[in-house]
Amino acid sequence: MEAARRDRAQFDALYRRYLAQVYSYAFYELGDHHAAEDATERTFLAALANLDRFEERARPADGDGASTFRVWLFQIARNAVASERRGRRRHPQVPLEAAALVADPLDIEGGTSTRDEAAHAWRAVGRLPADRRRALVLRFVEEMSTAEIAGILGRSEGAVRVLIHRALRAVAGDLRGADQRREQAATSPDGPPDPPSDAG
Amino acid sequence: MTPFDREAGSTDALLTDLYLDALLAGAVLDAAALGEPGARAFPGRLDPAARGAAERLRRDLVRVHPSFRFEERLATRLAEAAMAMRMPLAAGDEGRVISFRPGRGSELDPARATQADDTRAGADARTGPKPAALADADTDPDSARRVPGRPLLIGGALTSAAISIAGAAWVAWRLGRPGRAATPMARAARAVRMARLAAVPGGARLAPRRLD
Repeated sequence: MEAARRDRAQFDALYRRYLAQVYSYAFYELGDHHAAEDATERTFLAALANLDRFEERARPADGDGASTFRVWLFQIARNAVASERRGRRRHPQVPLEAAALVADPLDIEGGTSTRDEAAHAWRAVGRLPADRRRALVLRFVEEMSTAEIAGILGRSEGAVRVLIHRALRAVAGDLRGADQRREQAATSPDGPPDPPSDAG
Repeated sequence: MTPFDREAGSTDALLTDLYLDALLAGAVLDAAALGEPGARAFPGRLDPAARGAAERLRRDLVRVHPSFRFEERLATRLAEAAMAMRMPLAAGDEGRVISFRPGRGSELDPARATQADDTRAGADARTGPKPAALADADTDPDSARRVPGRPLLIGGALTSAAISIAGAAWVAWRLGRPGRAATPMARAARAVRMARLAAVPGGARLAPRRLD
């Protein structure tokens, strides 16, 4: 971090380290690869340009090598995603079926059920209010701590814990409903009904 | 919602958070794989449905990587942007204070000066790594000829001042010196004047008297 601040050419190491995380966050938020690429590009260019404004807030008690750079970077990413989303509202696009992308393409045998379950999970997360969805993505995809998420979302740690707890319960209820519908469809003599219109 | 409910909600949220910490660290799933009895009941009060949802989200919400082409394209763009930011910096480098002696300029840099001071303070102990500034001085072949602690600036200023004083004295001596100027232009002017005087009738009277 300090090396990158002294010499901007050193920024490449930070870029390589956080690229997948930022891109992944943008993709989960926007649901579209091109939009996620645009938001990622905007994020890193803004981070490079404003590197002098970054203030390290990690304390010695946080441990050796602790840094708040990731929180700062994701604050930028959050703004970039919001900006991208505003642009997309003006030019609406059809989001990709994200679940199809995360299913393991080599898992031929269990591919269908995995993809189906993943699709349900993605839909359940996608139906959450924005702040809950964002908190869950940061917690599960980026594997961030509550303190980091609180720093990114601008909330207290207690508020983030409650946010995630409620989000998890909502997803659990949604998934339980989806599982019950699937079981009913499997035991029904008329065969599986049309899938519920819960895409989004 | 009563304060009691709010408190209970906060406790549940805290338990969920602890469970997620363990889950994301792999501790819960590893324990379950080993068949440890307490693994599934990690926080006893946690809703089994929420626990199941958490495990499912951990499995299904995977990190998505961008394409290699995008990664390299953005890396190139960032490198260009970084280079563009370095150009004005390089252009302003003339204004920097440059030390007279390579490797001995640490006094101008507070951070390095502190390091050098620390090294000087601990020099008796002869322990620890040698700082870069002192290491440079050791490898410098001219370091033995130089008087330590005497900046080159003083010598240069004295030399310059001495030359200036000598020059001023020489000019003053030349201006006040009786006699003829020895420059070619002065000799030429004198020859012209002599020729003119010789051409004038009776000019012999005006001709300068020869001493010999």
